Amino acid sequence: MSAPYRQDMPPAGGFPQIKYKRNLPFRGPSGIVILGGVTAVCAYGFYRVGLGNLEKRELQREKAWSRIHLVPLLLAEGDRDAYRRQQAALAREKEIMKDVKGWEAGKSVYHDPRYRPADSIVVL
Amino acid sequence: MSFWHNPSSAAKPYVDPTPLPDDIPKVQELGVTSGPLKSAAFFIGAYCKDYNDDFMLCKAENRDPAHCLKEGRRVTRCAQDLITKMRENCLAEFDKHWNCLEWNNQEYGACRKPERALNKCMFEKLGLVKTIPGTPEGQTPIHEVKNPILNGVQK
Repeated sequence: MSAPYRQDMPPAGGFPQIKYKRNLPFRGPSGIVILGGVTAVCAYGFYRVGLGNLEKRELQREKAWSRIHLVPLLLAEGDRDAYRRQQAALAREKEIMKDVKGWEAGKSVYHDPRYRPADSIVVL
Repeated sequence: MSFWHNPSSAAKPYVDPTPLPDDIPKVQELGVTSGPLKSAAFFIGAYCKDYNDDFMLCKAENRDPAHCLKEGRRVTRCAQDLITKMRENCLAEFDKHWNCLEWNNQEYGACRKPERALNKCMFEKLGLVKTIPGTPEGQTPIHEVKNPILNGVQK
């Protein structure tokens, strides 16, 4: 027995509409606002960096001056030590060279009264 | 027996025990380490300005160590005097500040709180003010800025 003939038809009331339109709801701030916000944050950051650089310069000046104030003190102490060693070296030289006629202990090899620090020292 | 060495390549440290000649008046060396010196630097600069200037002018005349021994002794005595006075009057603040400097790589910026206490004490007791020469006109000196941008490592 064969089934009776039946024509396939659309559902009653027709097919529903196909959703073909874009559905992108507007969410969050616009691109311009984000761009502006990022620019503002960066600008503030760079402003702070600039202020920090100025501050760093002042900190460096402070450090430099703290050292400048200490220079005379440290130099004076170093000078006393250098003088003490110089005199000791001179006494040693006199003792060693006492038998050599015409030897002047501590005489510079240069014909120039300008002070030169010793270029070598005696390690005892 | 002694012989010549290059000091930079010597195997032994350069030690010479001979004392200063007797005709040089003795002065006690300061014997203060770098932290306290840094802490006191600006007060040394303020308190001993005349002696320091005199010594540096003398050194500008002649670099020979023998030339400025007298001025050098004055400089050391003055600094000695100041450190003694500081210890007598502001010992707690002084200790706190230089200990802070020791713990913070000797950076002034990291130790403003103890520094302000020390500066206040030094001004009240000894009348010494910390001034940094060369600060731009009309600008707060860096050690008096209330809210600095660079305030050390975050903790």
